[in-house]
Amino acid sequence: MVELYLNGRRYKVNAEEDTPLLWVIREHIGFTGTKFGCGKGICGACTVLVEENPTRSCITPVGSVKGKRIITIEGIPSDHPVKRAWIELDVPQCGYCQPGQIVEAYALLKKKPKASKEEIVSVMSSHLCRCGTYGRILKAIQRAQKLMEVKA
Amino acid sequence: MITRRDLLKLSGLGLGIALLPDGFMLVKASENPQIKPHLWASITKDNYLVLLINKSEMGQGVYTGLSMIVADELDFPWGRVIVKPAPAKDTYIDKKMGSQLTGGSTSIRNMYEFLRLLGASMKEMILESASREWKVPKEKLQAQMGYVSYTNKKASYGELWEKALKLPIPTKVRLKDPSEFLYIGKGVPRIDTEEKVEGKAIFGIDVRRKDMVYAVVERPPYFGAKPQSVDDSQARQMKDVLDVFTISSGVAVCAKTVEGALKGREKLRVAWTKSPLEGFDDERLSQYYLDMLKKKGVVARKDGDPILVLEKAKRKTSAVYLLPYLYHATMEPMACVVDVKEDRCIIYAPVQAQTWTLQTAKRITGLPEDKIEVYTTYLGGGFGRKSNVEFVKEALEISKRIKKPVKLIYTREDDVKSGWYRPMNATHLEGALDEKGRVIAIYHKIAVPAVFEWAGRPSQVDKAAVEGIENMFYEIPHVHVEFVKVDLPIPVWFWRSVGSTHNAFTLETFIDRLAKIGNRDPVELRLELLKNHERAQKVIQVAAEKAGWGKRPKHGDAMGLAYHYSFGSHVAQVAEVSLDKNSGQIRVHRVVCAIDIGPLVVHPNLLISQVESAVVMGLSAATKEKVSFSKNGPISLNFDTYPLLTMSEAPHVEVHIVRSEGPMGGVGEPALPPVAPAVANALLWGYGIQINNLPMTPESIRSLL
Ligand code: FES
Ligand code: FES
Repeated sequence: MVELYLNGRRYKVNAEEDTPLLWVIREHIGFTGTKFGCGKGICGACTVLVEENPTRSCITPVGSVKGKRIITIEGIPSDHPVKRAWIELDVPQCGYCQPGQIVEAYALLKKKPKASKEEIVSVMSSHLCRCGTYGRILKAIQRAQKLMEVKA
Repeated sequence: MITRRDLLKLSGLGLGIALLPDGFMLVKASENPQIKPHLWASITKDNYLVLLINKSEMGQGVYTGLSMIVADELDFPWGRVIVKPAPAKDTYIDKKMGSQLTGGSTSIRNMYEFLRLLGASMKEMILESASREWKVPKEKLQAQMGYVSYTNKKASYGELWEKALKLPIPTKVRLKDPSEFLYIGKGVPRIDTEEKVEGKAIFGIDVRRKDMVYAVVERPPYFGAKPQSVDDSQARQMKDVLDVFTISSGVAVCAKTVEGALKGREKLRVAWTKSPLEGFDDERLSQYYLDMLKKKGVVARKDGDPILVLEKAKRKTSAVYLLPYLYHATMEPMACVVDVKEDRCIIYAPVQAQTWTLQTAKRITGLPEDKIEVYTTYLGGGFGRKSNVEFVKEALEISKRIKKPVKLIYTREDDVKSGWYRPMNATHLEGALDEKGRVIAIYHKIAVPAVFEWAGRPSQVDKAAVEGIENMFYEIPHVHVEFVKVDLPIPVWFWRSVGSTHNAFTLETFIDRLAKIGNRDPVELRLELLKNHERAQKVIQVAAEKAGWGKRPKHGDAMGLAYHYSFGSHVAQVAEVSLDKNSGQIRVHRVVCAIDIGPLVVHPNLLISQVESAVVMGLSAATKEKVSFSKNGPISLNFDTYPLLTMSEAPHVEVHIVRSEGPMGGVGEPALPPVAPAVANALLWGYGIQINNLPMTPESIRSLL
């Protein structure tokens, strides 16, 4: 039995400690927004926040994040500038990689609201998108930066 | 005689539209027993338009593109449109394809007229209903944005819908004049964006059913091997494991949890029979393809006497190309949920091919069609791969055996090992110029597996093998096109833009080589070869002009252009490239693309997205991708060994839409083929490098310097 603190709620899950966090979030608890892409930490589709840090849940044993604050795509508010910018620019194509991309972008802007284009590209290059939405992702992050400035 | 017939059962009344060769006619299903009552559209009481869409949403935006056509003719607010995937049924078959299938960049082209008619017919009936209710002539009524109004009266479509359905059905409907379009030609926000941004969109891997169990399948290391003996004693002892058994493609491990299934599989010991491919590593495969190229094939096209002309010509060149197997790499690996019961079968799957899924389910379960339900989820990428439904077949076999709903998941490694690649191919090209530098002869011979034969449609000359060559627009007096079928048991399939992926590369790079030996400008040479093909000329001119052809490249050091016609559309692209000679690393800074899909672009922003997508995928394949093989099978099993293009490597893509008269062309695929040859051509002119093998990795470029 593992206890998790996920998107602001506590869950008790009947899973072994070495089970990848990804499967616990998706299949045991049912937040299927977090995706499986490679299982090796390469593609970024499974990215969630653990204590604000973007984390590849496919290679994170659930036992290592007990009691830590975990946020998935479903836990990011709909009115957050990142999600709004993504909608405004119609970023997703198939959409499969997008939750991971959005979580990463959210964490990046939280840490570095004024991240430069080069910084954005460097961080986001750890995420794969087979549909080739890279250009729009970049634009959406820059747009979110603008939206955040207005808010601030 | 009725040639096409279906559509539109509205709110259970069994209303249908018969499509006659000379036009459209609305009929009541009850009056025509051949029409099966199925639902395409309805309007709810609170005024939402619910549409069932018969094409799979795999990122191309088809839910948006198709539903906006109906909403436009109906005059309905876009924000109140709801889309649902149509189940697998005869009614939803795309009549132009004869199958419920999404592929070949055809969705809008094939459904456009039908969906306009659907919207227009619905509107006509709603107006008629209001006219009778208010005793006002129809002509005096206004139908706008989901409401009918007359002086101080106003009613929503939803309020009128039920009564509208009881009226006689109009036999003629007026379609809008393009000047009246609300959305068509302009665009609307994508209907699936919000769900996808919120993480709420349900893909195949996301489906959850009560009492569902998980399955993974252990596959042979190389294609064609079968399990000889299975030792599952340890696997069965793993936590959560329920059962282990052999299915047609390998050994299935079922468990209560996905981690249980995966751990169970790790403990499985399977001895495989010898694969007929054993020993076919990269080197041997290359040699095999090159040897096949020396064999006699089937001539697909012959104009004039190319062999004689080539023999006599003074200015000529030749090349042998070798292009690799490519993996689709949909970000969502194959996954689906299937529940086979005694008397019923339910399938939730991210498939491009509903008809084939249904047929497969009939075969495996033995159930009649009306006991099988196929629901299409969102597809986490398709690119042709998910029109192959072998993965659903596996899930069917497993669920049937274990008698429970099953979620089958492919790991990335399973996904690569399952095959269905873009075929490897070897091409021999020869070409000759006359003394004026005009191209007078082309000899093209390709050795390649027959993709259409793998898809159950064999022919003498495989259509994919020679597409883009056999039907090229270049006017050359002496042409020879020949196809040698490669018959290896490595499964191949449709990969976004199919045969054009390789044929555009070989032909377009070869044209530039001819231009070079003839001291011709490659743009000018192409325009000469296409002098009777205005549409082709135009996209080349636009791409060249917008990119600043002839001037110094804005970004990078070299420029290359390629043109290709596929799926009904003309595309030209200019790539701006630079090369670091020490590392061999190339960088593509900008791709300028001109595309002509005909007179009408239903949704320009979706077209632009598709071009961006195709350019990135084409460039990814050209610079990074290749399925590698050891003697024991494929070894590029995940993204560490099969890398994809990332944001830092993605070029800026600039899209210019060219409009012309002519039939509507496709959008999803045609922008992919030109990018690889455009980049290679830039390397030819900028650095004198000839690319005969893909991908253009730093190592391969270094070896050419
Ligand atoms: S699934 Fe975790 S990084 Fe790819
Ligand atoms: S949107 Fe399809 S993989 Fe990124």
